Amino acid sequence: MKNIKYLFLLLVLPIIGCSDLEEEPVSVLSPDGFFQSIQDVQTAINGSYGNMATEAFWGRKFSLPLLLRSDMVGIGDQGTAGRRKDHDNFAVSDDNGMITAFWPRTYQIIAGANEAIAGAASLGDPEERLNPVVAQAYFVRAYTYFHLVRLFGDLPYFDSPVQDITAASQISKTPAAEVYANIISDLEFAKQWLPDTQPSSALPSKATAAGYLALVHLTMNNFPDAYSEAKFVIDNEGRFGLELAADFQDLFDATKQSGLNEALFTIDHNGFRSGNYGQDYMPALTGIRGNQFGDIGGGWSVAVPSIEVYNRWDGRDYRKAVSLDTTGVFNGAVDEFMNFPTYDARNIQSAYIAKYARFTGQTSNGNGRGSEHNYAQLRYAEVLLIAAEALNEVTPGTTEADGYVNRVRARARNGNGSSFPADVSGLNQDDFRDMVLEERRWELAFEFKRWYDIKRRQLGDQVFGVGGFEERPNFTASRDYLYPLPNDELQRNPNLEPQNTGY
Amino acid sequence: MKKTKQLKQTLFLLLGFCFVLSIHAQEKTITGTVTSKTDGLTLPGVNVIVKGTSNGTSTDFDGKYSINVTEESAVLVFSYVGFKSLEITVGSPNQVNVQLDEDLAALDEVVVVGYGARKKSDITGSVSSIKSEEVTAFPVLDAQQALQGRAAGVAVQSNNGGEPGTPINVTIRGNTSINASSAALVVVDGFVGATYPQPGDIESVEVLKDASATAIYGSRGANGVILVTTKKGRKGKMTVELNSNYAIQTTSNRLDLLDASQFADYTSAINSSYTQGPANTDWQDLIYTTGHTTNHQLSFSGGSDNINYYVSGNYFDQDGVVINSGFERFSFLSNIDAQINDKLKLGFNGFGSRSTKNGVSTQAVSGGRGSGDVISIAYRFAPDLGVLDDNGNNTFNSVGDDIDNPFAVASERVDETFEDIYRANFYGEYEIIEGLTFKSTFGFSSRNQTRGQFTPSTLITSAGDQGGIAGIANLKNTNLLSENYFTYTREIGNGSLTLLAGYSYQKDKTFTNSAGAEGFVTNGVSYNALDTGSTPLIPESFLSEFEIQSQYGRINYDYDDKYLITFTARRDGASNFAKNNKYAFFPSGALGWKVSNENFLKDNETISNLKLRASYGVTGNPSITPYNSLATLQSIYAVTGDQTVNAVVSGRPANPNLKWESSYQTNFGIDLGLWQNRASLSVDIYNIDTKDLIVGNSNTPEYTGFLNPNFLDNIGEINNKGLEITLSTRNISTEDFTWSTDLNWSRNRNTVEKLFGSDVDLFLPSAAPGHFLQDETHILREGEALGQFFGWEYRGVYQGGTLPQGTATFSGAVAGDELFTDVDNSGEINSSDRKIIGDPNQDWTFGFNNTFKYKNFDLGIFFQGAVGGDIYSFTLSELASGGSNATTEALNAWSPSNTDTNVPSPATREKRMNSRFVFDGTYVRLKNLVLGYNLPQNITEKLGMDNVRFSLSGQNLLTFTDYPGTDPEVSYRASGSQNANVNQGFDYGNYPNIESVTFSVNLKF
Repeated sequence: MKNIKYLFLLLVLPIIGCSDLEEEPVSVLSPDGFFQSIQDVQTAINGSYGNMATEAFWGRKFSLPLLLRSDMVGIGDQGTAGRRKDHDNFAVSDDNGMITAFWPRTYQIIAGANEAIAGAASLGDPEERLNPVVAQAYFVRAYTYFHLVRLFGDLPYFDSPVQDITAASQISKTPAAEVYANIISDLEFAKQWLPDTQPSSALPSKATAAGYLALVHLTMNNFPDAYSEAKFVIDNEGRFGLELAADFQDLFDATKQSGLNEALFTIDHNGFRSGNYGQDYMPALTGIRGNQFGDIGGGWSVAVPSIEVYNRWDGRDYRKAVSLDTTGVFNGAVDEFMNFPTYDARNIQSAYIAKYARFTGQTSNGNGRGSEHNYAQLRYAEVLLIAAEALNEVTPGTTEADGYVNRVRARARNGNGSSFPADVSGLNQDDFRDMVLEERRWELAFEFKRWYDIKRRQLGDQVFGVGGFEERPNFTASRDYLYPLPNDELQRNPNLEPQNTGY
Repeated sequence: MKKTKQLKQTLFLLLGFCFVLSIHAQEKTITGTVTSKTDGLTLPGVNVIVKGTSNGTSTDFDGKYSINVTEESAVLVFSYVGFKSLEITVGSPNQVNVQLDEDLAALDEVVVVGYGARKKSDITGSVSSIKSEEVTAFPVLDAQQALQGRAAGVAVQSNNGGEPGTPINVTIRGNTSINASSAALVVVDGFVGATYPQPGDIESVEVLKDASATAIYGSRGANGVILVTTKKGRKGKMTVELNSNYAIQTTSNRLDLLDASQFADYTSAINSSYTQGPANTDWQDLIYTTGHTTNHQLSFSGGSDNINYYVSGNYFDQDGVVINSGFERFSFLSNIDAQINDKLKLGFNGFGSRSTKNGVSTQAVSGGRGSGDVISIAYRFAPDLGVLDDNGNNTFNSVGDDIDNPFAVASERVDETFEDIYRANFYGEYEIIEGLTFKSTFGFSSRNQTRGQFTPSTLITSAGDQGGIAGIANLKNTNLLSENYFTYTREIGNGSLTLLAGYSYQKDKTFTNSAGAEGFVTNGVSYNALDTGSTPLIPESFLSEFEIQSQYGRINYDYDDKYLITFTARRDGASNFAKNNKYAFFPSGALGWKVSNENFLKDNETISNLKLRASYGVTGNPSITPYNSLATLQSIYAVTGDQTVNAVVSGRPANPNLKWESSYQTNFGIDLGLWQNRASLSVDIYNIDTKDLIVGNSNTPEYTGFLNPNFLDNIGEINNKGLEITLSTRNISTEDFTWSTDLNWSRNRNTVEKLFGSDVDLFLPSAAPGHFLQDETHILREGEALGQFFGWEYRGVYQGGTLPQGTATFSGAVAGDELFTDVDNSGEINSSDRKIIGDPNQDWTFGFNNTFKYKNFDLGIFFQGAVGGDIYSFTLSELASGGSNATTEALNAWSPSNTDTNVPSPATREKRMNSRFVFDGTYVRLKNLVLGYNLPQNITEKLGMDNVRFSLSGQNLLTFTDYPGTDPEVSYRASGSQNANVNQGFDYGNYPNIESVTFSVNLKF
């Protein structure tokens, strides 16, 4: 009997031991104590870069509307989702699925930068050691808000990690002018501390910060500063390791991009992806259905230039051949774009965007969705064009401004040995301004810049009116230069009212 | 069971079986058989004692007993639950056969309650019992399915129609939670959180509903508790029981879709350049087939004086009604109990199962390019395409998103889940002094799951360009439980007192990992050679642990068999509770008054039983998965300079004050028995106030920049009020013919009492399929029930010109487009014109069972149904949106020549939430119709059998409903996600419900 009792105790006692009930989450990363070294700051900034290369940002949700709202790209397959068509037709409502999808992701990019900045401050290292890395976060924050402020105007603004959710849920919008001022101060910090060169264009350098300062000032019509920042980059192009790529085509060949020195900042893909991270939908969205060229399974014919782009683009321009696909390969044979719909009713009779679908590199996913493209956010060619445009506003008629444009044109001619486009000279201020904007249209075609140019120069009524590349009678200048704030965010925080005009 | 005789025991442990050799002594041995006077059937488990002594035994499975007496004047007392006791003087014969009279007034069934058992008449809480005959009335894979319609207030829902192996949700007394599960806690033979045993192994199921009954389970009791007791062996010769059944199954319903030429006309109206494809395919025909279910259960049971055993093995095999779906399972259960000596009892309970599920994808969370489930694709897919194109490749859709054809997906995609579950539970029970026992159980369970998936490159849009995609996911869960408690029982004058006090510790550990690859040399390897893929996918692993330690106690006092009092309390500490709230306390109390035992009613002819019950208490819902109160960083995939780099983003903010949900429940009940309980009625009304609801705070603006800003927070209160009625009657009871009826009816009213304030809605995470891109589908609003559908009110077709009063269209609409109610009178429809367009909560539900017995035949007719409860059909919404096939409703679409219609013109339309796709989900269903025949006893005896029964039954043979989808029991997104609990009434790509015809044989010998 006694033995059995002891057996009992033996059975029970080891189990009864008291636990402190503390959780030890070995599989969960905790923000507490995460920042131990400067490398951890870089890891947090990398989070922002990773967030840029997601489906909900550069993959398609953010980038596609920029294409569609321009006067260069419309909808091919009319059966595609209404949320896309609404951007092309300027019929966006406050629950537009593109906007509600990229909005949170955009703020996650910003939050990553804010975390990195706060985390670096907690390290207590000397600023000479910290700031060259932290400056990347300042750049990322400026880059992201610069997109947002152009699209939404006044908006919720944070420059530190959100700690108090309740307070953060009740803030009002920060006026656009204040956001611009913060963008400039972030970029100036970045320009001060970033190194002259980086191992990769995916990391911003001093030139990147200066180039973006030029673009921000240009957008604000602050032409003297735009000019001086662009000129700073141009004057130091050797120091910054910048040059125009010799062959315009190489800029859009995913296998060659990393060897070039033209991009000041890129969103990189390496052919792999994880879920929606690393997903690049641009080859699919812009590609021709059923096209066997490149062996990526064709595209989806969603974002297609209007036929006017093909018609009005001078055939001698090498950039036209690089930017547009006028043929595809079907059933093993090359055919012209007028016959594209015969291979799939969702294709249309137009030349297709070639910059993304043509050379995707090794792709781990269908239709080029796991491409190796590195998307240039700012190319040196654009810096030259900013310098030219800004200088023309400050001091019209300079050969210096002509020279910047002519460098870009010379490179274009280099591709096919053509005499087109010819060098410019002797234009008056207005003609020069128009010429630069047209030059940007062709040089930066389908590079997500045109909508911002239309907005910046308030060209909407003109380019969407009769005789424009795309006639969009629904375009309403008082409404369509800004997106609506997502209606669900207004519900969560009514202090964000008023909604942008017209929505 | 006590023995005065000297026993000599030897114990062997061999392959999990305990055998006992026992040697008896001398004296006169009386044997006999005990049968029921009513139907002549033998009665197992009848207590037989020698009056005035503690010498006793009980009958075996065959109703046979054997007892030693010392003199012929000895009196044997036979007693049995539900029968009148009988006393017989032994006399000279050695065989004494007796017949017992049914005692209709007897209520003294023993009902299992948490950490013990009570006589049913002494229960003060609200408890429903479901007997083994009801659990096995028709063949089901999962015992939970058998609970549907059997108990008032118990809602049973399949997570996916008739899918073989689909999980089942059981909800008691409505949804008491938003974010957390409302699923009842399951306790199998004392093991908290165990998986259900096979239906054939179940002795009884007790459903604990009110706080008095559930508070002993503290922080896990708020959703009610289901106590499952498995069969035990009884003393006597070994009984072998074989139950076999075979069922043929078909889909209960299909959708009427356009054929090829109708489809081509419809699509041409959307895209004029569309040309009709070469085929005319009915995709539903291709993916549906006739299903079969085979189920065999073999059990052995018996016992000697000191050892009882019950061992069973079960084989279940189902081929589903969708091609290539199926489920196969082997399982065993063994229960061994040993009375070691007067004071000590030891026992072992072992369970094991291995199952294989062949899945086809259904209820896809997104149906965009290269995805989608077999069912919804079969509806969407162009009927003018065949399975293969001219080049012999699988076709993919010619309209809308690129998706592979459903036949190819169903037949070529591999999705296999292997699951092993083992559970062992040891207990020892020791009587320290008279009336005071200590029981300690130590249990361990383990669940290992491997899921392998492979999409071959022949599915062109899903995996063609990747060259095949394979993935393997593993889960290993271990659960350890120690329960230790004292029970003290004492008679004090006219009263009797039972005290319980205990301590428990439980630890649960789950480890998951997954790996995958793409780009396979051949499709032949499936997921069995990931290394032959050219591109590895990112592997993942996760470890999750939680611990609960608890103290609990209960006091039962019963005075004069008239007045009952119960107090219960439990204190739980749990690791998954947030830092500042680690411990929780849950008390309850209840009163019972057996009015019928009072003198003024005691001899009443009509009222044979009357009891009033009242209870109040607090129970909890832990609702916090491990680490969910902690802030997180999330690692993501990122590339710089073409190199993959380490990267983190802010995952979720912390909430150190997060605490469990608490339900304050009041219950009043009345139990009434009339005419010797020929009619018995139970009525319960309850009120449950659930506070500190844990909700993913979707009112956190997304601009705060967290990957998941909807951190868990204690927000709001909901109320459930309800009425439950159970009525059992024996309408006719003669020697040859009996007819009895069981009806249960329940009604639950659910109201969100408090959220952020009266004019702030809580938007729940979208329940729409991902490719719909509808962010908001349903809401919580103060004063309304959970999960209201939220969207635009459809007002028919816009005829062009002036808008009808009170209506408007989205910007840019033309004649033939949708017209909606213009809530804010702005002249144009936008998001502020949305309103509540449907309520998925059912008004009331019922189960109605009639059993007829005539001689050896029996007939059971079981109806089950629900009234009210709206359904939102994403399926029909998709089929009306262009870019897919459509229902035949599209033949009546608006056109300039057909303006008198409610169907908009053919066009690609946003799949916005609107009232056009809200339907009433009321249904009544003939759940089971069974005709059984028992071979007469004289024949079975010749066959050497104790009992032989054949039955033919049909399940879901009739359904009455106006719902235009395939089945009104819908469950899209009703499991898996955090808010599954409030995703009610959504329909998309459900595996179809099935009709079956089943033939069963039961043999006992």
